Amino acid sequence: MTAPAQTADTRTESAFVSRLKALQFQEYALVIVVIALFVVGAILKPDTFPTWANVRNMLTQASVVGVLAMGMTFVIATAGIDLSVGSMVAAAGMFAGVLIGDTGTSSLLFIVGAIAFGTLLGTVNATSIAFGRVVPFIATLAMFSIGRGIALLFNHKLPVSLLDLNGGSFGDPGTFSLLWFGTGRILGIPVSVYVFLAITIAGWMLLNRTRYGRYVVAVGGNREAARIAGVPVRRIIFSVYVLSGLLAGIATVLLCARLGSASPVSGNLYELDAIGAVVIGGTSLAGGRATIVGTFLGVLTFALIFSLMTQLDLSTEIQQVTKGAIVLGAVLLQRPEARY
Amino acid sequence: MTAEPVKVLEVRGLTKEFPGVKALQGVDFDVVEGEVHCLLGPNGSGKSTLIKCVSGAYEPSGGEILFRGDPLPVGQPAATLKLGVATIYQELDLVEDLTVAASIFLAHERRRGPLLDRDHMFKESAALLARLGHEQISPRMKIGQLRPAAQQIVSIARALSHDVRLLIMDEPSAVLDEGEVDVMFDVIRRLTREGVGVVYISHRLDEIRRIGSRVTVLADGRTTASGIPATTPTNELVTLMVGRKVEQLFPERPTESGEVLLEARGLRSLPMVRGVSLEVRAGEIVGLGGLVGSGRTEVLRLIAGVDRMDDGEVAIDGQKLPPHNPRRAIDAGLGLAPEDRKSQALVLDWSLAKNVSLATLKRFGRPLLKIGEEKARTREQLQALKTVPDDPDRIVRLLSGGNQQKVVLARWLLRECRVLLLDEPTRGVDVGAKAELYKVIADLAKSGIGVLVVSSENEELLGICTRILVMREGEVVAELDAATATEEELLRHAVAPTDSSVLAEEVA
Repeated sequence: MTAPAQTADTRTESAFVSRLKALQFQEYALVIVVIALFVVGAILKPDTFPTWANVRNMLTQASVVGVLAMGMTFVIATAGIDLSVGSMVAAAGMFAGVLIGDTGTSSLLFIVGAIAFGTLLGTVNATSIAFGRVVPFIATLAMFSIGRGIALLFNHKLPVSLLDLNGGSFGDPGTFSLLWFGTGRILGIPVSVYVFLAITIAGWMLLNRTRYGRYVVAVGGNREAARIAGVPVRRIIFSVYVLSGLLAGIATVLLCARLGSASPVSGNLYELDAIGAVVIGGTSLAGGRATIVGTFLGVLTFALIFSLMTQLDLSTEIQQVTKGAIVLGAVLLQRPEARY
Repeated sequence: MTAEPVKVLEVRGLTKEFPGVKALQGVDFDVVEGEVHCLLGPNGSGKSTLIKCVSGAYEPSGGEILFRGDPLPVGQPAATLKLGVATIYQELDLVEDLTVAASIFLAHERRRGPLLDRDHMFKESAALLARLGHEQISPRMKIGQLRPAAQQIVSIARALSHDVRLLIMDEPSAVLDEGEVDVMFDVIRRLTREGVGVVYISHRLDEIRRIGSRVTVLADGRTTASGIPATTPTNELVTLMVGRKVEQLFPERPTESGEVLLEARGLRSLPMVRGVSLEVRAGEIVGLGGLVGSGRTEVLRLIAGVDRMDDGEVAIDGQKLPPHNPRRAIDAGLGLAPEDRKSQALVLDWSLAKNVSLATLKRFGRPLLKIGEEKARTREQLQALKTVPDDPDRIVRLLSGGNQQKVVLARWLLRECRVLLLDEPTRGVDVGAKAELYKVIADLAKSGIGVLVVSSENEELLGICTRILVMREGEVVAELDAATATEEELLRHAVAPTDSSVLAEEVA
C-alpha cells in the first residue's frame, strides 16, 4: 500500500523512512508473528503446511471472517461493537436460500437477497443504537439472538442446499455464478480471496483517505469534540452498523458459495473471530485508533494458528480455548494507560 | 516571623529524568509551618513533576526531600499521605454520586468490624467541615449537588481527615470564580493558623499576593528564585518565570467595528439561561463576564447550536440559524472553542493536521483526501498562530495548553469562520502563552472577525475586550465599556442586583 506522494513534505528524512514510521508498532510485530507462524508450521508439518494447497485453503476460509473483520474495524473505531455478525450471516444465508426456493436457479437473486438482508439487519442495529440510544453491546447482543432465531425459523431449522444453482453438484461453476465465489479461481487464486483483498483495500482507502473515515475515527476518539467541530456524529454511528450488516451479507455469499448450502447454524462465534482479529491488529476498543492493515494481519494470524492446530490434530475445543486466550492476551497488551 | 520556624518540607537539589527529558534539574524549595508557599512557573516548567515527587507519585532521580527533618519515603503515595502530606489536584477528583462523608473517607473508610461505620464518618465529616468554617455543607449531600467551591472544600476536608501537616494545592482556583476563591482563601488561612504548611500553585499572579507568604519560581526544571517574598512586584515574577520580559500582557484593543455579524435574541434554556440577547459586530471582542454558573458557557453553546434551547433565535448576517444544529452554525461561519480543550475540542491522539482540518475536510478532495495539501494548509495556519511545534504530524497530546488552544483556533481559521466563540481561552495557560493568545485574539478581531469571549478572569476581560456583558443567574445584567470599567464594577454587577442605569436590554 503506497501513500500518495507528499508534495508538501519538507522534512529531511526520506519518504520511505516516514512511511515506515507511519506503521504502528503492532503492525510490525504482527508481520513478524505471521512469518514466524508460517515458519513454525513449515518445520512441524513440512509436507502439508507450506504447500500452495494449504495456503489457498487457509486464505479461502479466512476470507469470510476477514470481510466481517473489515466492517468490525469501522464499528470498533467509533468505540462501538457488533456482536451480531455471526447471527446475521446465518440469517442472511437462510433468507436468501428460502428466497430462491427449491428449484431456484438465480445466483444473482441469492447474492442480492443475502446482501440486502444483511444490510437490513445492520440497519436495525444502526437504528436502535443511533436513534434509540441503546448501547451497542446490548443492541447487537439482542440481534445476536434475533438473527439466530430468524435463521432457524426460515426453513424449520433445516439448511437449504444451493447446489441446484449449479446443476446439483460442485462441478465447474460458471463465472459469476454463486458457487464460483466459493470455489472458482482466477490465476490459481480463489475468487473469495480476491473479494477479501478488494474489500481490504477499499476499507483502507475509506478509513485513511476519505472524509468519512476521518469522521469515523473522530467520533470514536472524542465524540463531543467531533460534534462541536461539525461532524454528523449520529449519521456516522448509524452508518458503521449498516456497513457491518452489508459486509455480513457479502461474507454470507462467500460462505454459502463455498459450502454449497445455507445453514441456520453457520457463522457460530464468527463475531469472536472478527473482534479478535481487529483487536489483535491494534485497533483500540476504546475507539479513536483503527488500522485496516492491522486487521488484515490479525485475520492472517488467526488463520495460520488454526490451520496449524488442525494439522497438529488438536481438537476444536482446544482451538476454542486458544482463540479466547489470544483475544484476552491482545486486549491485555493493548491497555497502555491503565489507571488502576 | 519567630526565630527559626520549623521546616515542614525541604527539597534539595531535586532532579527527575524521564526518558529523553530532564523534567527537574536541581530544584531547591522549602515550606515552613503556617506559611502559604506559592509555586510559580510556566506550563512545562516542572511544577507538576515537583509535587508528584513530593507526594510520592513519582520517584525522583536525585536530590533529597525532607519532611520535618526526615527523608520522605520515595515513590510511595500511600505512606506519604499517612505521614501527613496531602495533595489536591487541579481537576476536582471527586465522584459525583458519592456523599460528602463517603468522599472524605474514600479509601480510608472508618469501620466497625467488617462494616462501614457510617455514623462515625458522618460525625467526623461534620467536625472537619466545621473546622473549615463550612458547617452548612451536610455530610449526607451528594457531591454532584455542590458547587465547585464547595467541592473544593470537601477535597480540603478529605486532606484534613489524614491529619495533614503539608497541603499541596495544584491550581485549586482554576475551576472557581472570584467569590468562591475568597471562600477558599479563608479556609486556607484557618489551616495555616493551625500550623499547616501549604504549597499553592496558580497561574493567577494576583492570588499570590493575596494568599502567599513566599514564592518559588520554576523555569525549565530549575528554581530561578526560591523563597522570595510574595510582595515581589508582578513584572519581576513574570520575568523570572519566562526568563525574558513580557513587554505587554494585553495587546492594543481593536477600535473599529463593522456591521453586526452575530445576533442572538431571547435565548432561553432553563434553568441556566433565562432570556439572553446580544450582538457581536465585525472587529469586536465582546466579553461575557459573571460568576461561574451564571450561564455564560451555556449561552455560547446555545449560539453554536450544540445544546438544545427552549426559546430564542440566533442569526448570522441576518440569516436565522436552525436551532440545535452545530453543522449549520459552522457553515454559517461560527466556531466554538470550548471550555475544556481536552474533552471537548481535540482528539488528543491525533496529529495536529487532523485536528486542525476536522471541520474543513470537504476542501481537501472528494472522494479521496489530498493528505499533502491538508498538511500544507494546516501548517500555514499553525505557523500564522506561532504554534510550537508547527509540524502537522505531531501528536496534539504532547503540546502545552497554550499551543493546544492555538490548534483549536487554527481549526476555525482554516474554516474561515467569521464569529469565534471562545470559552475560557486561557485556562491553564501560563503567562507568557497568555500574552501570545491575547495578541492572536486581538489580531483576529482586527482582521474583521467578531469574537465573543467567556472568561472567569476579570482582568483578562478588561484587558482584551471592547465591551463586556455581565451575566448573573442566566441573564445579562450590565454592559460595560471595557476600556473604562474596573474589576470592582464588574464584580458588583456579577454578584448583586444593582441600581445602576447601565442594565443592558438589547433591543433590535
